[in-house]
Amino acid sequence: MNTEQAMELQVDISQTSPMPLRGSFSCAPGQMLALVGPSGAGKTSMLRVLAGLLHPENARVSVGSDIWCDTAQGLHMPPQQRRVGLVFQNYALMPHMNAVDNVALAMLHLPSAQRLQQARDWLQRMGLTPDQQQRLPALLSGGQQQRVALARALARQPRLLLMDEPFSAVDQMSRRSLYGLIADLRRDLHIPIVLVTHDLNEARQLADKLVVMDAGEVLQEGTPAHIYRSPRNARVADLVGIPNRFHGRWLGNRGPHALPEGFAWLEWLPHADAKSGLALMVKDKGRLKTWGQPVTWVIQGDGFQVNPLLTEDATTDNQRLVLQAQVSALRSLGEISLATLALDEPAGTQLQLTLSGTQRHNVQTGQQISVSMDCRWIHVMPVRR
Amino acid sequence: MVSPCLDTREHDIDWQALVLSLQLASVTLLLLLPAGLLLARWLAYTAFKGKYLIEALVVLPLVLPPTVLGYYLLVSLGGASAAGQWLSQHVGVSLAFHFSGLVLASVIFNIPFLVQPIQRAFEAIPANLGEAAAVSGLNAWRIFWRIELPLAWPGVLSAMVLTFVHTLGEFGVVLMMGGSIPGETRTLAISIYDRVQAFDFESADRMALLLLLLSLLAVAASFFATARLGRRR
Repeated sequence: MNTEQAMELQVDISQTSPMPLRGSFSCAPGQMLALVGPSGAGKTSMLRVLAGLLHPENARVSVGSDIWCDTAQGLHMPPQQRRVGLVFQNYALMPHMNAVDNVALAMLHLPSAQRLQQARDWLQRMGLTPDQQQRLPALLSGGQQQRVALARALARQPRLLLMDEPFSAVDQMSRRSLYGLIADLRRDLHIPIVLVTHDLNEARQLADKLVVMDAGEVLQEGTPAHIYRSPRNARVADLVGIPNRFHGRWLGNRGPHALPEGFAWLEWLPHADAKSGLALMVKDKGRLKTWGQPVTWVIQGDGFQVNPLLTEDATTDNQRLVLQAQVSALRSLGEISLATLALDEPAGTQLQLTLSGTQRHNVQTGQQISVSMDCRWIHVMPVRR
Repeated sequence: MVSPCLDTREHDIDWQALVLSLQLASVTLLLLLPAGLLLARWLAYTAFKGKYLIEALVVLPLVLPPTVLGYYLLVSLGGASAAGQWLSQHVGVSLAFHFSGLVLASVIFNIPFLVQPIQRAFEAIPANLGEAAAVSGLNAWRIFWRIELPLAWPGVLSAMVLTFVHTLGEFGVVLMMGGSIPGETRTLAISIYDRVQAFDFESADRMALLLLLLSLLAVAASFFATARLGRRR
């Protein structure tokens, strides 16, 4: 076992009651994993299982060679013995203790003077002034309380750090400075960090790895880039908010013309029941076998290029397709604009694009433009029945 | 005929009764507090079938006429009952018309006054504080001492004062269970009643006022302390 494996978190859970929870994932030391999904997806329950606050039906949780929970062997280590740092959603600071005492609470195994000193050191590292350190939680701002909660979690020198919606209750400014703080910690600590969030932008910005959950089930695990480019199924695409999701039919090699090895035809349908559509040439990953099988497909923004000057026959090259469209809506979001395009073909299909830089100034609502689409960015998923 | 008013001592406060009342209130509180704390905490944190029945039993002394409770205690534990005979034979204690009987009756009668405020205080503690403490490495005992008890303290304090004051002024149960034996079962409230019966309004007046002031003082002090504790948060 190398040092990475020696500290890696590994989770495998399956239970049906009291709430369903199923799936497995791992998190390497120094890695930040974000559990994402809608409310009620089981993210917090998953975190509570990791902390030992929830007794799962069937599960195995280990950090390196330490087994924290193995129901097959009847093993369930209580939270007190796990050396886990948990930052609660609403901080859960003790209202009758000042910041220093709150942090010192996690070090009761040390002599009193030593734990107070260490508590002050941790709080200082989190950026709290000596005056703030003596205050009761109610007299600290949300961001400061969050820092105390983080200091308390870290004071235990945890082997795993868990954070439940750590930024949901703090304002934008404290949020940005907390991001920085956590980025620094991550570099220094070298332990697995698991974050629960419903904010996908936050998850994408902070995490190296996403675990997408829905209805208690882990649907997909992977880097943000991978999940956004290749969501496992339509539900994942939905949950992570991939805007350009279309209906299609898998044609395999039975398209307008013969294809080289490793490519297949995908028919782009304007809606699920459409008889015919536009044939696209895509990579064949060998996952889809049945001819005519209904599919869902997505394409990331990276696959598009807006080029209002270029006019070319859309059917000439199937790997790089040029589409004609009308800008039906344009919404400015600070430094970027969100454009909705109504495509001429397949008729009734809409495309969502993010425009930045000079691109956004060349486009106006109602304008007719052409967009080139690189079919190599297309990701095809079977429709779940 | 000799009027009781001729005896000058009778016009004064029955100090013996006051001391007895204070003793009864203190002993009742001391005996009831540990069990009451555990019961209140258990009711606050545990959900189970039939919990409502237990909670109803806890509240029962509050809604029952004290004479009914006293009557049942007298019948079930008095000298004529099986339990009473067993106690006097094997333990050498006879509860009826005896201080120990008053204590038992007071303890039972005060369960709702002690348990209910403490239960509410425990219920008001956010559940995630205990979890945060457990994750921080605190065992159940330390969580109780360092987190739960300090946070529930205002409730515990007012429950203690309420119980103490309520025992000081207790009448019905004491009369049924203890009668009015000077130095043994004649508490201040009983003494006031006796004086009124004897038309000695002067001393009834004084003792009633004393009881009123004592109670007011204790309750006001507990409110003051609770408010101060509350401000710390």
